[in-house]
Amino acid sequence: VSAGTGRPDRSFGGRDIPRDVEDELASHLEMHEDELRARGLAPDAARRAALARFGDVARVREACRIIDERIARRRTRASMLTMVRQDVTFAIRTFRRSPGFSLVAVLALALGIGANTAIFSVVHAVVLRPLPYGSPDRLVFVWTTSSRAPREPLTPGRLLDVRTRNRSFSGAAGISHVPLNLTGDGAPERLPGSSVSSDFFEVLGVEAAVGRTFDRGEAGRAVVLSHGLWTRRFGADPAIVGRTITINGLPHEVRGVTPRDFVWPSITARPGGTFAGPELWVAARIKEIPSPPIDLDEDLSTRRQSQYLRLVARLKDGVTIEQARSDMEALAARLAEIHPDTDANQGLTVITAQEQLVGHVTLPLMVLAGAVIFVLAIACANVASLLLGRATARRRELAVRLALGAGRRRIVRQLLTESIVLSLAAAAAGTGLAWWAIGALTALAPMDVLRADQARLDTTVLAFTAALAVATGVIFGLAPAIQAARAAVGDGLNEAGRASDGPRGSRTRAGLVVAQVAAALVLLVGAGLLLESFVALQRTSTGIDTRNLLAFDVFLSGSRAEYQRLQTEFYDRMLERLAALPGVVHAGAAVTLPIGGDDFGASYIIDGKPAPESGQEPRAGLQIVSPRYFRTMGMRILRGRDIRPSDTREAPQVALVNESFARIGWPGEDPIGRRFAIGGAPNRVWLTVVGVVSDIRHFGPAEPPRPEFYRPYYQSSFPFMAVVVRTADDPLALVPSVRAAVLELDPALPISNVSTMEAHLYRSKAEPRFLSILLGGFALVALTLAAIGIYGMMAFAVTQRTREIGIRVALGARREDILGMVLRSGLSLAAAGAAAGLICAALLTRVLRAQLFETSVLEPTPVAAVTLLLLGVAAIAAAVPAWRASRVDVVRALRWD
Amino acid sequence: MKPPKTTIDLMQGTLSALVLKALSCGPLHGYAVARWIEQVSGEGLLVEEGSLYPTLHRLEERGWIRSEWQRSATNRRVKTYSLTAEGERQLRAELAQWGRFSSAVSRVLRSRRTRPA
Repeated sequence: VSAGTGRPDRSFGGRDIPRDVEDELASHLEMHEDELRARGLAPDAARRAALARFGDVARVREACRIIDERIARRRTRASMLTMVRQDVTFAIRTFRRSPGFSLVAVLALALGIGANTAIFSVVHAVVLRPLPYGSPDRLVFVWTTSSRAPREPLTPGRLLDVRTRNRSFSGAAGISHVPLNLTGDGAPERLPGSSVSSDFFEVLGVEAAVGRTFDRGEAGRAVVLSHGLWTRRFGADPAIVGRTITINGLPHEVRGVTPRDFVWPSITARPGGTFAGPELWVAARIKEIPSPPIDLDEDLSTRRQSQYLRLVARLKDGVTIEQARSDMEALAARLAEIHPDTDANQGLTVITAQEQLVGHVTLPLMVLAGAVIFVLAIACANVASLLLGRATARRRELAVRLALGAGRRRIVRQLLTESIVLSLAAAAAGTGLAWWAIGALTALAPMDVLRADQARLDTTVLAFTAALAVATGVIFGLAPAIQAARAAVGDGLNEAGRASDGPRGSRTRAGLVVAQVAAALVLLVGAGLLLESFVALQRTSTGIDTRNLLAFDVFLSGSRAEYQRLQTEFYDRMLERLAALPGVVHAGAAVTLPIGGDDFGASYIIDGKPAPESGQEPRAGLQIVSPRYFRTMGMRILRGRDIRPSDTREAPQVALVNESFARIGWPGEDPIGRRFAIGGAPNRVWLTVVGVVSDIRHFGPAEPPRPEFYRPYYQSSFPFMAVVVRTADDPLALVPSVRAAVLELDPALPISNVSTMEAHLYRSKAEPRFLSILLGGFALVALTLAAIGIYGMMAFAVTQRTREIGIRVALGARREDILGMVLRSGLSLAAAGAAAGLICAALLTRVLRAQLFETSVLEPTPVAAVTLLLLGVAAIAAAVPAWRASRVDVVRALRWD
Repeated sequence: MKPPKTTIDLMQGTLSALVLKALSCGPLHGYAVARWIEQVSGEGLLVEEGSLYPTLHRLEERGWIRSEWQRSATNRRVKTYSLTAEGERQLRAELAQWGRFSSAVSRVLRSRRTRPA
């Protein structure tokens, strides 16, 4: 397209377009004037005639200028493209000539860029992307606060108070988590579900993908299905809307289906619970109060005791979260005055949806992001150091190019282009690496990391990778390029042939090696600490013998669910049958499964002790268990007796307490026969302690045992239980016979959540495992890169000093001396790096504090271990060139130029 | 003094074709192109000469002609234009099209009105 190729063409140098246009038009007018004058016109008349013939000069001038500027822009762009293409072609040719160097550099950078891409894809999917709700930044959660816990669920009374008396929210919906039995159309299923105020979806700003969501003030039994459940169970049939399905034995009308990208976890006061999110939502029917797990179907609006409700709210336009907070504080103070015996000493707090839903994973993800940035920095230092070495070797080439008239800037640009080509090649390889890594990451990620499974190489992530690659290329390429260009200018051509590295170059390279070692050590220390912590976690006993233990849930429905006596009768028969199965040692049941399940709690007062102020009562974990539950779990009854069938509703109400409860309730005394009470004033229940049972860690090994008490299911029961079966052999082998035994008793009874306790325990450690495996992996990559760095530096130094080494040998130095000399200089670099690394680690590992279990942020054993590991690897990396140096052939060395 | 002339507003495309034709015999500056058009058209086609320049620049932008600054015989800085290879192809195409068009038009204009039998 371009005109005038090869010919001097000054018109479009971009110099002065307006002047050129002016000149061109002026010359036309002048020539015309001349001609008219030659024909005898007077100068004035000639001028007028020429102008008249020409037309509107100003308009023509403007039109020409616009066209010319467009041409100039296009030509500049074209010539830049040509230049870049030349540079890139040249760079590729250069790399083809030294495949070893190129491979190492691309590999190192690919590891760095790949790791960053993979982690960024997760950070992006989980934290950076807006949550899939309408204006998610206006969404908040409201919790009760007390001296016992920073976040507690709300009571029905408080939920209604917040709904009606707040001044900050355009909507506030209650949520409760309820397991729901789905029957009809296929096998009965027990699913995680949620009962919500009818404006729940309106508050979230979410519209149904199919059908609609709930009507305001919904009075009928209505259900909204998750996209997943709709697809899995109903074959994504849109005709499901308006149909009636059976939930907990009652007909519910299907209102609609949530959008495919709608995610909603179970909302826990302790973030990071491992429950799956609800698969279906039922509308609250009475005064917008979501049902508790056992649907009592009665008006709960005056209940101010049972805390089971979560609350999600949307800030009114213009209201800040601080304003909402002070609004809620004022409301809590007001409620404490109105209801002194139930709401005293209780606050209300507001947190953002972002904090509630992803707050607990933000720090670990940032730790990983920091780690991969370290890896990339090491890779950059590594390649920069390689480039510095190459620049020395290429000095002759660069000097020639300078002598041939290439400017210093041109040379820097050429070298930078090489760096960027290198890092783009690495980005391509790294993206492949990341594609593989993201699969592994999402499989390994703990379940409670919302949307981690949505991490993928989308356009945002790829744009990030591309930007990272260019930035990387500039970072590791700029210093070597400038230094090379400067050196090439400094040297004469004649001198340039000597491949000697200036003192500045070798100092820079040594600095880069020290930095690599330091950064690698920081990562190693972090990984070492996490590993130590994870080992400590593995060693910690939960107080449960998890081997050969099968667990599953049952959920009764129909008349059996309605009467506690029938519930217990059924459980007794079921446990009897299970215990009689061949291969089963014991069978027991509890209302919540430790480690893998929910938890119930209650506040209590000790008989004979001054009652604490309202709202300040201590809390303990509440369990409702069958006889032989403790034996099945491998827990020990330390004093007193197990529960027995004679502990009926008519008999005295009894309980077993665990060691922690006994220690707090009756320090130094025998708790047997003592009493404590649970529940508020009107329905307070006194329980007599009949036994003490060993402590367990209900929330998994990472959390210390809490005070707990156990009530017999003959005295208080629920229509659902977690059943545990101790087996003689592999517990999973017994699943079919266990399932058959239960179905024989009741063909409509779903057993769900079938798993071994070992599996529950494994899942409870998902997050520390994830973090330590990942950080460990990154640390190993960093260590490898640092080792390559040391090796490269020493190998280069040995080549440089071949002549000197030869002289030393000729003068009588022994080979061991040479070996020692090179080894020492390599190790001294590593030692300097290690020292710097330890200082950085001391400053940085405190970010890990929340992730460490029974491990201090500078635990000596792992820190010492990884430091030794690093120095050992450094010694090996230096030993190879050192050995080569000691083998130097004196004659050849002395001829070395 | 002069025969009465009518200034015809030439369509852009026609002017382009004329310019290409003007340059087909060799490089010319803008003024010469204007004169050439005036002469060969027997002064029948009179353009407002200024409109020639945006056309020249646009043709250059399309790559059909190229320009060069030169010193004229009277030592004036003048910009001369010449046809590129692509421009020659374009000219041939336009001539062919014009030929088809004008013969079609003349056939229509010369035809006698015949009544349908």
